[in-house]
Amino acid sequence: MRQHVVGIESTAHTFSASVVDSEGRILSNSKNVYVPPEGSGIHPFEASKSHLAAAPAVLREALEEAGIDRGEISAVCYSMGPGLGPCLRVGAVVARTLAASLSRPLVPVNHAVGHIELGCMLTRTRDPVVLLVSGGHTMVIAYSTGRWRVLGETLDLTLGQLLDQFGRHSGLSSPCGASIETAASRSSAYLPLPYSVKGNDVSLSGMLTEAKRLLDNGNGFEDVCFSIQETSFAMIVEVTERALAFTGKGELMIVGGVAANRRLSQMMTTMSARHSARYSSVPLEYSGDCGAQIAWTGYLAFKSGVRVPVADSTVLQSWRLDSVDIPWRN
Amino acid sequence: MIPSISLGETEGPPGRLLYKGAEADVFLGTWAGIPAVYKIRKKMEYRLDTLDSVLRTQRTIHEANMLASAKAAGVEAPFVYFLSPGRATLVMEYIAGTRMKDAIADGETRETTGLFRKLGSSVARLHGAGIMHGDLTTANVIVRSGSLVFLDFGLSVHSTRVEDHAVDMRLIKETITGAHAPVAGVAIEALFEGYREVSGDEGAKSVLRQLKAIERRGRYARVE
Repeated sequence: MRQHVVGIESTAHTFSASVVDSEGRILSNSKNVYVPPEGSGIHPFEASKSHLAAAPAVLREALEEAGIDRGEISAVCYSMGPGLGPCLRVGAVVARTLAASLSRPLVPVNHAVGHIELGCMLTRTRDPVVLLVSGGHTMVIAYSTGRWRVLGETLDLTLGQLLDQFGRHSGLSSPCGASIETAASRSSAYLPLPYSVKGNDVSLSGMLTEAKRLLDNGNGFEDVCFSIQETSFAMIVEVTERALAFTGKGELMIVGGVAANRRLSQMMTTMSARHSARYSSVPLEYSGDCGAQIAWTGYLAFKSGVRVPVADSTVLQSWRLDSVDIPWRN
Repeated sequence: MIPSISLGETEGPPGRLLYKGAEADVFLGTWAGIPAVYKIRKKMEYRLDTLDSVLRTQRTIHEANMLASAKAAGVEAPFVYFLSPGRATLVMEYIAGTRMKDAIADGETRETTGLFRKLGSSVARLHGAGIMHGDLTTANVIVRSGSLVFLDFGLSVHSTRVEDHAVDMRLIKETITGAHAPVAGVAIEALFEGYREVSGDEGAKSVLRQLKAIERRGRYARVE
């Protein structure tokens, strides 16, 4: 019999609710995105207030759009972490309330695993090397013996943070990725920036400092954007290529907010062709934070018996994806 | 005497493709009549030309220097026969053996533990000589009749900083938990045991302390 689950996402700027069914159909994926004031980043408390205000309407919309009766819901899944505490708590409260009122099991989901599993389902990818690039993560990941394993990652800033912090320094408002991409596409003047690859890991903080300095010293905004993209993306693609060569896997998938960048995607396509790997990029609508990633991954977990009593449910601001058991992939 | 041979007047690969790595293609050919490995850092099409050629040239020259430094530190590494910065090509001794990555069994065995202890000792020897390898994965070490031969010094640096040595150890740890998960527990223990045997209690302790500090800096990390 077909089952339906609800997923609630609220780790950072996005509050989202989604209904998916056991065959991987996404019946709804409503969201509300908190936009910080120009020149500043996410204020966790302000974001949580925005989530709290938006939650009832987003949830109602998700349930109505799915067109199912509330009795048909088999489980309620929520993003337990990692993320911003105040934001996570809003999602947890909404999920607990729904689970308790429907008397249905509550399923905790790791947000990062959510990105990966939804991506795999949507792109029909089975066993890929994954590049997860967002404001919270910059990681190269592959599945092995019971868990998603981290093969390489940033040692400091994420790619999303690099772009956002540089963007805000230049007066843009977060998220700045799209504006930086547009600016970069208008330049081809390369200004050298620190290229810091340490084995399978990258370090981006030095690049941020130098990029800000270049801008403050009168270099063109577009030229600095171009140079940031070319340098940081080359570093990320290099470590992803290392992981691909090391694991010998035949599939490569990119997911997360920064996956929307066309230059990064182009570089990844070129690189994967060199290794005859099948490259897939998660569709834009689902590559950023959304309820569907929690609903689908929650369904997989629910099917494997993962659940938490409402009274014991909590949130984890720090929760690395390589500490999560993945029973459904055995 | 240096053989008076110029590199590749003829087009085409210098031999049989041994390994297509992330950074370079590795061929088995001959040099002055003996088997030799050609490590060619190919142009990366995804990378901007200016950035790409600087990286390839720098790393090739650097690798040749560091291979010599590693040998001087008493760590086994291939001899360099020839270097062509312009072609980003390094011609070096062919090491017959198995990549450590492939020599590690899925179950815990004495051989596996022994390999990781040796790895720890050799890395400590490199660090003692002020060399940070920079790319310490089990794919970059060859097991030749029981001893370890180190390759791929393209990302290495001269450094006596505990931070850099800890970054080296962190990468090995990451490789172990990422690619050799079934034996991770014993492997990491043996690795540090081997390291301590060479660097002494104090040296090992400070690297371990710094390693924890690095992990704590990591995203969403919870380190006890």
